[in-house]
Amino acid sequence: MRNVIVLVLLVYSTGLLAQTKLPIKFSLFNESTSIPFTGLINTPIHPGIQVGTEFEWKETNKIRLYPSVNVGYMFHNNLFQGIYANLELGFDYKFDFGLNIKSSLGIGYLHTFTTQQEFRFENGAYVAKADRGNARIMPSFSLGMGYRLKPSDSQSTEIFVMYQSWLEFPYSPGFIPLMSHNSFHIGSKFYPFK
Amino acid sequence: MIMCCFSCEKEEQFGINFYDCDEQSKSKNHPDNERFQELIEEIASSGVPGIMMTIRNSNGVWSGAAGKADLANNVDLLPCNITRVGSTVKTFTAVTIMLLHVEGKLDLDDQIIEYLPASYLEGLENADKATVRQLLQHSSGIYNYIVNLQFQTASLNDLTKTWKKEELLAYARGQKALFAPGTDVQYSNTNYILLGDIIEQVTGKKYYEVFAEKIFVPYELYATDCAAENPVPEGIVRGYVDFYSNLNVINSTYYSGWDYFTADGGLISNSADLNTFLNALFHGNILSQNSLKEMTNWVAPKNQDEEEYETFYGLGIFKINTVFGPAYIHSGDAIGYFASMVYFPERDVTISWAVNGNYGSIDEFASSKTAMDRIFQSVFED
Repeated sequence: MRNVIVLVLLVYSTGLLAQTKLPIKFSLFNESTSIPFTGLINTPIHPGIQVGTEFEWKETNKIRLYPSVNVGYMFHNNLFQGIYANLELGFDYKFDFGLNIKSSLGIGYLHTFTTQQEFRFENGAYVAKADRGNARIMPSFSLGMGYRLKPSDSQSTEIFVMYQSWLEFPYSPGFIPLMSHNSFHIGSKFYPFK
Repeated sequence: MIMCCFSCEKEEQFGINFYDCDEQSKSKNHPDNERFQELIEEIASSGVPGIMMTIRNSNGVWSGAAGKADLANNVDLLPCNITRVGSTVKTFTAVTIMLLHVEGKLDLDDQIIEYLPASYLEGLENADKATVRQLLQHSSGIYNYIVNLQFQTASLNDLTKTWKKEELLAYARGQKALFAPGTDVQYSNTNYILLGDIIEQVTGKKYYEVFAEKIFVPYELYATDCAAENPVPEGIVRGYVDFYSNLNVINSTYYSGWDYFTADGGLISNSADLNTFLNALFHGNILSQNSLKEMTNWVAPKNQDEEEYETFYGLGIFKINTVFGPAYIHSGDAIGYFASMVYFPERDVTISWAVNGNYGSIDEFASSKTAMDRIFQSVFED
């Protein structure tokens, strides 16, 4: 049943994108628990994948302001795996030769699961149980840059890198209130339906 | 579907003899057996995966266990199992230093720069002035690498990393000292990394070899060893961590303790051995009365934590004031494990316990002041 719902949503959203000629943003990223801006790529690699799109809002020759929505998945070995959906407000400063400097503020919902068997305390003893996961909010701030392969074409394919700093809240109530994460994205934005 | 593929990390299966150990305790004949067993059953049933406890009182020595050594394989915990006892190692480190002091290999009031190269201490503020005694008493003011947020997030980022001593010290280098040496006391693991270095420097041996030679072997602590020799020895009970404070735990046995290879942590033992050690120490069987007097020359921190016991710092040991009188104590955590050893000098009672779960909500039942009050109350209620 769950697979059918995912398929329907995928078909519906693809159709919607096709109708509106919205771009698709796709990125691969490395997630880490780390303090913001203390390192670009931390090891070991904890892989993630994100897909999203952007909407037009305000744009001049130099500046572009736009909302975007994304969904993603990440796998942090030995700690958690998570699926998320977020909404971001992006700001680009554009140069004539195709480069743009990007930043965004976002808020999202993250659902995390353990990467191994979980034991739940029930009726005075621990028992092996399927993990129901943990609900989180994930505020984020990102900085990066992109490059349009055809600078004069506003619907040109773009490649980009983004350094995303985000918080996982709540984390461990009464123990560790929130956790700081950073994700380094490498991706592309393209217009498959133009 | 992707999540299912990634999440299929299975628990290890072990043979029926994997956790076997030599259980010779005569605890069932101890007059307080029923009461003590009830205490640990209560603790286990409140949310601790497993607990072992040893109590030495006027009626003799009692050891017991409750809960599980291994949740996946449903194996009961035994009092003779081995487990991680974390920073309780600091008392062993301190006793070793005291023994080396008695042998004339070092002086407690020497500056540590007399034993360790200046280049090695570079960037550790106060290390050029601090003495051996100040390291032992946490009065050096040297920054505690463990509280560095960069270290904490880095250790979560790579939970199976083998941390080298230099990598740990790097998180303390360049950090402001907590206070001028000798002007206050504050717990710092960095002090005990340096003490381990001093032991190695003056003996020419690894610190854990010196522990074995001077303490583990002579006092017949057969269940005690350092993780540096073997981080996950066969038969060690599985550790469980409650990362999210909801009593949903995962196996953390193979997570790397950052202090497995330094003298500030990484001890493997059990409650019986900890009890034997602490009892021998405060009965004057390991150190002379003069050395004990030095160890228990208590210093109060300028700021007491109002929510904890009133605490005083000795050399590798603390004194807390409980409603049952003063107690000499050291506790320790590893990821998924906690242990504590306590001696009540006015009652001549030694209590030690170790649990294979920690952090989040588990701490409330095993290591908090409330948990300790409950244990002391049960032990002394007669």
